[in-house]
Amino acid sequence: MGELVKGRLESSLPGLRGIVADDKDQEHALVTREGPTKGDAEIDQLYAEAEDKRLLKTSLLLDVLNISNVLTDGVSAMVDDSFNKCFTSTRPEPWNWNIYLFPIWVVGVVIRYLVLFPIRVTLLFIGFNALIVVFLLVDLTLMPSKRKMAMQRKLVQWMCSAWVAAWHGVIRYHGPKPTPGKNRIWVSNHTSMIDYVVLCSYSPFAVIMQLHYGWIAFLQKRILSSLGCLWFNRTEVNDRAVVAARMKDHVNKEDAIPLLIFPEGTCVNNEYTVMFKRGAFDIGATVCPVAIKYNKIFVDAFWNSRREAFGKHLFRLMTSWALVCDVYFLEPQSIQPEESPQEFAGRVQAMIAKYANLRIVPWDGYLKYYNLGEKNPGLIEKRRRVLADVLRAYLGKTSAAPSAMALAKEGKAAVELQSDGKGQKGTSSVASAADKKDR
Amino acid sequence: MGQAASGGLTQGDVDEVIAASKGVFNQAEIESLYKRFRALDRGHKGYISPEEFLSIPELSINPVAQRLVRCCECPNFTTFVKMVAPFSPRASREDKLVFMFTVYDVDGDGFISREDMSMMLKQLAGSSLSEEDRQDIISRVLEQAGGAERLDFAAFKSALSSADLGNMVVEVPVDL
Repeated sequence: MGELVKGRLESSLPGLRGIVADDKDQEHALVTREGPTKGDAEIDQLYAEAEDKRLLKTSLLLDVLNISNVLTDGVSAMVDDSFNKCFTSTRPEPWNWNIYLFPIWVVGVVIRYLVLFPIRVTLLFIGFNALIVVFLLVDLTLMPSKRKMAMQRKLVQWMCSAWVAAWHGVIRYHGPKPTPGKNRIWVSNHTSMIDYVVLCSYSPFAVIMQLHYGWIAFLQKRILSSLGCLWFNRTEVNDRAVVAARMKDHVNKEDAIPLLIFPEGTCVNNEYTVMFKRGAFDIGATVCPVAIKYNKIFVDAFWNSRREAFGKHLFRLMTSWALVCDVYFLEPQSIQPEESPQEFAGRVQAMIAKYANLRIVPWDGYLKYYNLGEKNPGLIEKRRRVLADVLRAYLGKTSAAPSAMALAKEGKAAVELQSDGKGQKGTSSVASAADKKDR
Repeated sequence: MGQAASGGLTQGDVDEVIAASKGVFNQAEIESLYKRFRALDRGHKGYISPEEFLSIPELSINPVAQRLVRCCECPNFTTFVKMVAPFSPRASREDKLVFMFTVYDVDGDGFISREDMSMMLKQLAGSSLSEEDRQDIISRVLEQAGGAERLDFAAFKSALSSADLGNMVVEVPVDL
C-alpha cells in the first residue's frame, strides 16, 4: 500500500476498488471474454471476500473512522462508471476546423440536407407507402395460405430494403444466410431499432419487441404482427413467463419464420455489451448468434433512447452520407450438458463480442430503469456484515450470527446443490435479490 | 453559473471552478467533469438530484451511498467539482481528512458526536451489529481517540495519523 497506481484503477468488481478478486482459476473471474458469467450468490461472495481483504484490521479506531475506501468507491462511481459508459455516444473529432476543410464541410452539409435528404425522403415515401398498400391488400384479400405468408415476408423484406436504401446502407453480410428450422432461435447484440431493419432486408425475421407509441406502434401492430412478431412490456414482470411460453411455441412450429431476440433488452452503444438475459437460452433451442457492428465513420447508429426521439434518430441517419455496417451470422450453438442457461448466454455473448469487437460489461441493461441498490439490498447488507464481523471481533465476541463469509459460502453451496440452471432465482441483475439464509 | 444550465462552459466558468477547487484540477479534467455532470444531470436542471446519483449502479450498491448523496445536497457543477477535488492526486492529505470528517459529521456541527457515529456505523456495518455492540464500539473509539465525548477535527486527524490515505484517489478520465 502507499504507491499510487498509475493509469485507470481497474477492478474486476464494479463499485469496489483496489482489490482484484481472487481468481484461482478462470472460472472465478466475474466476467471473462471467453468464459461464462457468474451466478448471483457467487458475486455476493466475491464482494464479501474483497471487502474482507480490504479492511486493515489493525485497530478498532482505524477500522471505524477510516472510511476512505468506501468513500473512494462512491466518488469514483460518481466520476465514471462502467454502466453509463455503455450508453454514451462518442462525439467524433471535428475535422472541419481549418480554412480549407471548412468550406468543403459546408458544401457537404448542403448536399446532405438539401439534396440527399429530400431525394431519400421522397423515394422512401413513395416506395414504402406503395409497399404498405400492397401489403394491406394482400393481407385483406388473400386467404391465409403458405403463398400469402411467403408474399408478406417478401414485402416486408422489400420495405426494409427501402429503408436501408434511404439511409444509403452499405451492409456486408458474412456467414451463411439464416434458414428457418425447427427449434432454432437467433440472438443478436442491440444498438438501435434499425438493427431489425438491417437484418430483415436480407432475410425475414420475427422479433420480440417492446411495444412503442405513435406511428411506430401502427407499423408494429399492422405489419410486423403478420410475421409473427411478439410484443411485450419490459416492466411487466408477468410478461416474461408469457413471452417464454410463446417463444417456445414459435420455435416449435414447422415452418416458423426465424425468431430474433435481443438478449440485452435495451439499446447499447455498439462499443460495449451488457448482460445477456437468459430467456432465449432457456427454452432448449439451438441458438444462432448474429453480431452487428456499425462503422461510425459517417454516422453513429446508436439510438440513445434517453436523449433522442426515434424520429430524430432517423433524421440523423437520413442526413448522413451512408450507414456502414457488418453483419456476421455465426455458428449455431447448443447448450452443453454442464452449462446453466446463464452460462450459455455468457458464452454466446463472448462469441458475439469477439466478432463485433465489444467489451463485455456485467450489468443488466434494465438498470436503466431501476435503482440497483434499492432492488437488491442483499448485496449491500453482505458488504456491511463483513465490517460488522470485524468490529465485533474487537469486542472479543465471535459472531452470534454466522459471519458474512460463511453465509455467502452457504448461499453458494445451496445454489450449487440445486444447480440444474433452474436453481437460480429469476433475478436479472448482478447482485442477488435474496440469500435464502438472509434475515 | 447560468451557462452550465444552458449547455456551454465558458473559460470564465472553468477558471472560477479551478479557483473554487484550489487548483487541483487542470483544464482538461474540468471539461471532462463537466461532460460527466451534464450526462448525470438528465433534465439539464443545473444540479444533480439524489435519484440521478443513485441511478449509477456502482454507487447504489455502496453501503454509504445515502450519506454521500445527502452530504452534498443537489450539487451544481462547482459543488460537484469541490466534492471530487479531495480525490485528485494533487489534493493534500489535509483536504482528504477534511472531506472524510465532513461525511462522518452527519449533523454538520463540526464535531463527530455519538449520534453521528451511530448513524454512520448503521450505514457502514448494517443491522447485524446490535445496538449494544454499536454503543460499545463507539465508547471504545472515543476513549482511544482522546477520551472526549465527541471528536473535533484535530482529534479525528490525529486518530488517523497512521492511516495511509494513498488509496483515496480517483482519476478523472480525460479524452486524449
